[in-house]
Amino acid sequence: MNPLPALVLLPVLGGGLAWLAERIRPHTGAPSRNASWWMMLATLIVETLLLAMVTFNHPTIRTGPWLEHFSMPWIPTMGIAVRLDMDGLSLSLIWLSLILCFLCACLATRQVTVKAGTFHLLFLTTLTGIVGTFLATDLFLFFFFWELMLVPMFVLIAVWGHEDRQRAALKFFMFTQGSGLLMLLSILGLVITHDRETGVLTFDYFTLAQTHLSPTLSMLLMLGFFIAFAVKLPLVPVHVWLPDAHTQAPTAASVLLAGILLKTGGYGMIRFNIMLFPDAAMYFAPVAMGLGVVGVLYGAWLSCAQNDLKRLIAYSSISHMGFVVLGIFTGSRMGMQGAIIQMLAHGLSAGALFLIAGAIQDRLHTRDMHRIGGLWTAMPRLSATGLFFAVASLGMPGLGNFAGEFLVLLATWHVSPVIATLTTVGLVLAAIYALRMVNRVFLAAPKEDQRPLEDLPVRQMAVFACAMIFLVVLGLHPQPFMTFSAPSPLPVMATNSEGDHAP
Amino acid sequence: MIGHDVFLPTPLPVLCVGITVMLAATAWRRSVNRSFLTGMVTLLLALVFAGRHTGTALDNGDSLFIQDQWANYTAILIMFSSMCILLMSWRDDAHDRTTSLVDEYPLLCMLGTLGALTMVFSANYMPFFLGLEILGVSLMGLVTFRHRPVMPGYEAAMKYLILSGVSSAILLFGVGLAYGVTGSLRFMPPVTIGDISPALPVSATIMILVGMFFKLSAVPFHMWLLDVMEGAPVPVAAFLAVVSKIAIFSSLVRYFGTGNQPPFLNDILYVVIILTIMGGNLLALRQTSLTRLLACSSIAHVGYLLIAFLCPGRLQSGAITIYLLAYTASTLGVFATIAAFATPDGPDGTVIAQWKGLFFTRPFLASALSLMLLSLAGIPPGIGFFAKFEIAATGVEYQRNLLLGALIIGSIIGLYYYLNIIRVMMSAPSLPSASLNRHVRPELMALVIVLTIIVVIGGLFPARALHPLLPVSAIPSDTEAEMTMR
Repeated sequence: MNPLPALVLLPVLGGGLAWLAERIRPHTGAPSRNASWWMMLATLIVETLLLAMVTFNHPTIRTGPWLEHFSMPWIPTMGIAVRLDMDGLSLSLIWLSLILCFLCACLATRQVTVKAGTFHLLFLTTLTGIVGTFLATDLFLFFFFWELMLVPMFVLIAVWGHEDRQRAALKFFMFTQGSGLLMLLSILGLVITHDRETGVLTFDYFTLAQTHLSPTLSMLLMLGFFIAFAVKLPLVPVHVWLPDAHTQAPTAASVLLAGILLKTGGYGMIRFNIMLFPDAAMYFAPVAMGLGVVGVLYGAWLSCAQNDLKRLIAYSSISHMGFVVLGIFTGSRMGMQGAIIQMLAHGLSAGALFLIAGAIQDRLHTRDMHRIGGLWTAMPRLSATGLFFAVASLGMPGLGNFAGEFLVLLATWHVSPVIATLTTVGLVLAAIYALRMVNRVFLAAPKEDQRPLEDLPVRQMAVFACAMIFLVVLGLHPQPFMTFSAPSPLPVMATNSEGDHAP
Repeated sequence: MIGHDVFLPTPLPVLCVGITVMLAATAWRRSVNRSFLTGMVTLLLALVFAGRHTGTALDNGDSLFIQDQWANYTAILIMFSSMCILLMSWRDDAHDRTTSLVDEYPLLCMLGTLGALTMVFSANYMPFFLGLEILGVSLMGLVTFRHRPVMPGYEAAMKYLILSGVSSAILLFGVGLAYGVTGSLRFMPPVTIGDISPALPVSATIMILVGMFFKLSAVPFHMWLLDVMEGAPVPVAAFLAVVSKIAIFSSLVRYFGTGNQPPFLNDILYVVIILTIMGGNLLALRQTSLTRLLACSSIAHVGYLLIAFLCPGRLQSGAITIYLLAYTASTLGVFATIAAFATPDGPDGTVIAQWKGLFFTRPFLASALSLMLLSLAGIPPGIGFFAKFEIAATGVEYQRNLLLGALIIGSIIGLYYYLNIIRVMMSAPSLPSASLNRHVRPELMALVIVLTIIVVIGGLFPARALHPLLPVSAIPSDTEAEMTMR
């Protein structure tokens, strides 16, 4: 039996069960909430086991072929099928998603008291959308999942978010959906061009990759994809939704947003921009890299000026995602690997930082750094964890983020020393905002009216420790991850034979 | 010739008999429930006989009526929508004791449906115009059925009367010119024969098109729709938005065919489509009444549909078919939710602010409404997502870049106002929960559930709805060959 459809569907089915678990005894309060939470945890565990099975079933993983393939007709008259494929890149990103979901489940979603069952359902539906996005190799299916994950996320922000949640949710939805429509046009353009050439109407990724496009058309189609991914990633001129959405979202949704949803943008750029339109992407690379640098600097600069803890982390995400774009568009293998390592590391570090910010907000009911201070004496464990992830996020050597940023910078240097130099300024700014945050929140003198605070329980520390271990391993020994997570080449690029069929 | 032409699609006589029975029963003793029941049974029977006909069509195509897959499909949509609308209004009127004139309501509904079906099946100007007028006159009566407040209902009906009269006159003038040119009443655009100048058939075509645009409420002929739908009772607004639009769109496709349009029509349609999409969506932005908003959104959806109409090709048929289905199911769903929300003496659900906090007080209804709105906005998993995808595909196939641009901008604007309603439902409830209608009528609940299932299943497995249904004769032969090849 092929595990891929199960991987996609399992979260949403489990979410349904979690919702039912709360519905069965709706008036019992905490017990039914717990039942719903356990159901979600069980779903995640089964999903992880399934993923582990996929991962360890393949001894040939190092050679980088496509690991799994699944295909089932869906809308035959349009040439649309449920095509799911997995390679190292999607596998590692799904692992990242699951790890972050576990973090959320253990640390954040239990605090949800209003309609917890619905919360879990929506949370897991988002996960389905994300996993589907990472696996789909049918362009229509990809677009379907791409749009599908917005809806539950919109509801998560709009119902469970903070003060200004509804405006933020609306902004998030409008930006991503609007840009998604451009991608839709690009997809259709590609499909119809292929149809005109060969008379075959299909949305198959592998078949479409062989379409011969004129340079202009190729550039136009590439741009359609690029804009959609740039909004999701986000790149600078189209980033305006991100600070609001990340700040207003409930903790678990912030983690999902920063940790995984942004990565779908990076994933899309690798999988679609670079691999479907290699020539156009190379031609476009200077612009993309320029935007990447602007993102690195602008995000870091604004991050230095924030007083809202979550907003600061959100802007730092923009900065880190700039590195991803830089790496992807250097056109070198090293840059690509750096970008992927950076995505994985940023997912962990930003996700953890959002969790810590959420923990602080739960205890102090504020995110304003002026009103938080000197938490080290009151909450040493939480502060130490915060320090670790802040330092990771500023790119401390030995941690995952450093490995990613270093590789990206190295690859960029080969292409353009000027851009590389400018980007290093971003690293300096990163040190400033990260240390400023650490100083303000954890190290400064305690506030006068400090109430006694409850530190992180040991169990939660253990969960954070797992994320730390991943980051350290990623930083000290990135080589296996670099080979493992490289995107598989298209079969046609490798063999140059007719590849109408998926591998 | 007409004398011995007895070709009749069966739903028409079935409906006629049903209406006669209703009339006779009303004359004997008035009973609202019985009238509604007769109406439902008649519609069910007509649905059962949807594909049948009596008599044989003339070979030369000079019959009054025509029955092909396209006509059958739209007729089924119309009859299904009429059933939903009857169901929506049933208890509404039965429980309203302020007036005794409620027997006429189901009767007029049935008459309107008969008119719509006549238009769909007609292959001749005569039945088409008769159907149009039957539909228009019964709608005018229906619009006045809103009792509280009284004045907007009368105002709306008056507006409808005048504008419908004007548009019918324009259309009739066009028909007259067309007859003058061709000497035939066949339902197709006039072509010049002999030495008559082309100005005459062109102006005839344009006049007929303008009349149709009026009824379709394409911008700039849309002014009446908002006020009329707001003034009408909720189910009648649904009737206006769904039944009459399907009927007229079906006739539009039948009249102009599905091939390439002549250049002058192309240009007109281009402009009208862009205006319709932008106008409908922009108008919707600032509406505070849900029915007005739906009127605007229905204007925009007509614009999207016309894109597919203007892009003949392999994908056109599927796109139009599924878009009609998506639009019908989602719009009816929204109206059914409004009807389920309404109370006899409380809020009637037409003001958006009344929906505040519904996610917490009535989660199912709120979720259903959100699903329908998302489907209208073109977001998965609703059927509207695939429908909009298909429309975009037809546009890309024909490289109608301007129209695609309008489609995208319109969709983004549309997303904003649809999401805005969902946002209102998600904000904290302000109404004291006592004033809410706690007892949703079971038949409405069932209707909402059925429509939800249609929308979700249609969205997940749309392949079945993608049959080539458009009038076959009009499809260019090369496309047809391609289709059979596939």
